[in-house]
Amino acid sequence: MSSNHPQITIAMLATAIVLIGALLVAGCTGTGGTATPTPTAAPTTLTTTAPTTAAGTQVTTTGTTVAPTVTATTAGSTYIPGASTGKISVTGSTTVLPIAQKLAERFMELNKNADVQISGGGSGVGVQSAGEKTAEIGMSSRELKDAEKTKYAGLKAVPMARDGIVVIVHPSNAITTISLEQIKNIYTGKAVNWKDVGSKAQPIVVIGRDSASGTREFFTEKILGKNATTASMLEKNSNGAVKSSISPNPGAIGYVGLGYIDNSVKALNLSVNGTEVQPTTENVVKGTYPLARNLYYVTNGDATGLAKDFIDFTLSPEGQKIVEEEGFVSITRTA
Amino acid sequence: MNQASSVTPPPTRMSSSPLKETAISIIWLLCALFAVVTVFFILLYLVWDGLPLFNEYGLWPFLAGVTWSPTFDPPAFGILPLIVGTLLVTAGSMVVAVPLSIATAIYLSEVAPYRVKVLVKPAVELLAGIPSVVYGFFGLIVLVEWLRVTFDAPSGESMLAGSILLGIMALPTIISVSEDAINSVPREFREGSLALGATRWQTIRQVVVPAALSGITAAIILGMGRAIGETMAVLMVTGNAAIIPSPITNVLSPVRTLTGTLGIEMGEVAIGSLHYHALFALATVLLVITLIVNLGASMILKRLNARATGRAHAGRTVLESIFRHPATSAAPIALVALLVVAVIGSMGGPYYAGAALLVVAVLALVVPRLSRARSQQLAFLLIYAAVGAVLLILAIILFDIISKGLPALSWEFLTSSPRDLGREGGIFPAIVGTLCLVAGSIAFALPFGVGAAIYLVEYQRDNRLTRTIRTGVDLLNGTPSIVFGLFGFAFLVLFLGFGVSMLAGQITLGLMVLPTIIRTTEEALKNVPQSLREGSLALGATRWQTIGRVVLPPAAPGIITGMILSIGRAAGETAPILFTAVVFSQRYLPSSVFDPVMALPYHLFILTTNVPGSETNKYGTALVLIMLVVAIYAVAIVVRNRYHTTMRL
Repeated sequence: MSSNHPQITIAMLATAIVLIGALLVAGCTGTGGTATPTPTAAPTTLTTTAPTTAAGTQVTTTGTTVAPTVTATTAGSTYIPGASTGKISVTGSTTVLPIAQKLAERFMELNKNADVQISGGGSGVGVQSAGEKTAEIGMSSRELKDAEKTKYAGLKAVPMARDGIVVIVHPSNAITTISLEQIKNIYTGKAVNWKDVGSKAQPIVVIGRDSASGTREFFTEKILGKNATTASMLEKNSNGAVKSSISPNPGAIGYVGLGYIDNSVKALNLSVNGTEVQPTTENVVKGTYPLARNLYYVTNGDATGLAKDFIDFTLSPEGQKIVEEEGFVSITRTA
Repeated sequence: MNQASSVTPPPTRMSSSPLKETAISIIWLLCALFAVVTVFFILLYLVWDGLPLFNEYGLWPFLAGVTWSPTFDPPAFGILPLIVGTLLVTAGSMVVAVPLSIATAIYLSEVAPYRVKVLVKPAVELLAGIPSVVYGFFGLIVLVEWLRVTFDAPSGESMLAGSILLGIMALPTIISVSEDAINSVPREFREGSLALGATRWQTIRQVVVPAALSGITAAIILGMGRAIGETMAVLMVTGNAAIIPSPITNVLSPVRTLTGTLGIEMGEVAIGSLHYHALFALATVLLVITLIVNLGASMILKRLNARATGRAHAGRTVLESIFRHPATSAAPIALVALLVVAVIGSMGGPYYAGAALLVVAVLALVVPRLSRARSQQLAFLLIYAAVGAVLLILAIILFDIISKGLPALSWEFLTSSPRDLGREGGIFPAIVGTLCLVAGSIAFALPFGVGAAIYLVEYQRDNRLTRTIRTGVDLLNGTPSIVFGLFGFAFLVLFLGFGVSMLAGQITLGLMVLPTIIRTTEEALKNVPQSLREGSLALGATRWQTIGRVVLPPAAPGIITGMILSIGRAAGETAPILFTAVVFSQRYLPSSVFDPVMALPYHLFILTTNVPGSETNKYGTALVLIMLVVAIYAVAIVVRNRYHTTMRL
């Protein structure tokens, strides 16, 4: 062993540790500045993107460019843009996440000093976080459970959007309409071949959501009642995963939210007491589509400050427009 | 080497006081105990949170019940199908991984010319750098569909898909550890065998592999641990139907694993409900299974060691030659052959089973009677085929991701925040978040890990305490990453009130990589020749002086390699941070460790499962994640190669 070798390697180890420390300090805490979000990183991000997106109104370096649009679109609502400051955390249902995320992006464009952080995890996490006040707003795709109401007496659920659950199959499947009874037979395992429900002979591959999902719970309640789901159902943990499994598989059937429908899958009409109902926003609004449910914001006590502003924004005409853009149904819309 | 410093007498003191020496050794002891305490604390915490279920539902109905329907009225919490699913998928993954990886390890260490080796080895290591979300994503889109079409099955989401995917994921672990084991067989063994006139294949099969067997077994156990604990990939491809396949050899049946159940149900469950407690009870069972696998494996290891060292071969019957001939590998081969026959039978009917049986029988009779040259040709052909298969797998995955991800890469993508749910804009905050999580986890794990290893190697080698500590480290290593996530969520986020925060994620990831750091540091320290320590002690240096100035410096590259491997592992993991640290979006970068962060694997997971129409950015994120992890591994490889010779001295 050469005599100066130890120094080299010790130096290397030391450098590595110092580097990590530096990274930790500089990368994580340094750029953010103080706890009040007036960070140095955000402007950098904006300036780098400015050249490429200058044409759009999405990203602008000053508040003034956005202002006209704001007054035009939010005129008449109780929500006053631009005044909100601070930071809130919104967490929970992955079904609600895309809407909340889009709402937050727009909200933060309007309120330069507000920071709305969105995270997933699931409805259970959302309710718990709101209850424990680790998040200001929880998102839930199901109603509050009795156990949750007892544990956190102050919990309030605010409906913020409506969602239709659509039964989907492979585009090549000959079937176009299905009755609730037929769906029930398929999901309880009574019907195992497509010829049992009037399509071409082919084994049915039943796909559904995981047993903890709010979507599954709703589906079970509406369709199956007290009957058990067939044990051979494939379980997926998200709308996206259900769709990805159905779009390549000719024998598959599943259910997803309205927002996930595109031409890679075929959305089935429901036959309700002999009448055929298409899975459309209009029918959800009219109340004729049977598989519709509410999505909720959950707060512990009445929302205040930024949380209240964000909820107000969600319920404002502009907020509900974003809800519809993401493929869900506005809660305020009436037939 | 093993009897180590416990036999060395305490040296005469120079500048360092005995008090200081004792204090230092106590610090290292505490570091080492930390690992053990953590394991038992995690176990205790899981059991504690699972206890209400046992009280209300009963242990036996829980373990032996065949129905898992936690939200039905009345709920059923029978986990037998989940246990069976886990065992089947894991066993299947080993059938896929073991032949491929041992063949590849033999190729790398015994057959490959140097020029090919320096290309193939990093390629194999690249497989380890691919995050499990990416595997799952790839499996769902490509593998599942391929299986459905190939076997004309109603759906490709099956035990077979899970086994293949987990087998691929276990490859790099088994290959690299086996290769190390084969490399460490002394040169003289090979030279002796060749000098006696044995062919290269005979030397490999009857000298090299038996001598390296304990290392190879350890490699398989490590790979198995990876397979049992894997969550994100497996839940995307096995279909998650909670049924026991019928018949049990029906590999095209969907199954559900214990980890998959945790991964998909933990987020939605109402906290404090019976279902919540059931998931913790389930996690306890998962931990106990890993414990049993580890203990069972170490027993097998001991027995194999005994067998490999003392058996000479004399004349034997045909039947004996089938089971005994390569004394240590024929029995498992026969078992696998029977399994394959059963599987083929269940898929194609009795005729296929009969045909397969015939093929196996013919092979078993013919192979041992081939001439030496022919059997070497056959063996090398199979080895080339295995290596080819491994490289092909890598090429397919990489081609898919690179070809679709490259269009997304731009300066804007790397430096801007996501917009429109990540369909537009970039992933800058996710890159920063991942770096922060990783840096914090290493800063947390490195001192504990290195300290523990120093204690284990330099102060105590083999007594009841170190055995306990080593078992603790092994258990921690075998603990599935989703269990760390569960623990982090229940203890750090909820109980200690950290909230979903960077700190909770850093600690959870730190615990996860701790065993890797301990093990690699231990190896690095053991590689330092005993004569160096003796020389230093003989000159009157104290034990700590010896460690600090003589032992640690040459071990540093090994330690750094371990650290870098841990960084790579932490960067790609989703399960531990899923419930503890991440948010989907953030306006500003985090300003303190109590803020949540964005992270690349989670971003990819959400894009894949929850954001329709994010195709380009999804692949772009996957590509950046792979490039990041691969870059980190590349540094490790450079460090290793540069200092490899000096490490061995």
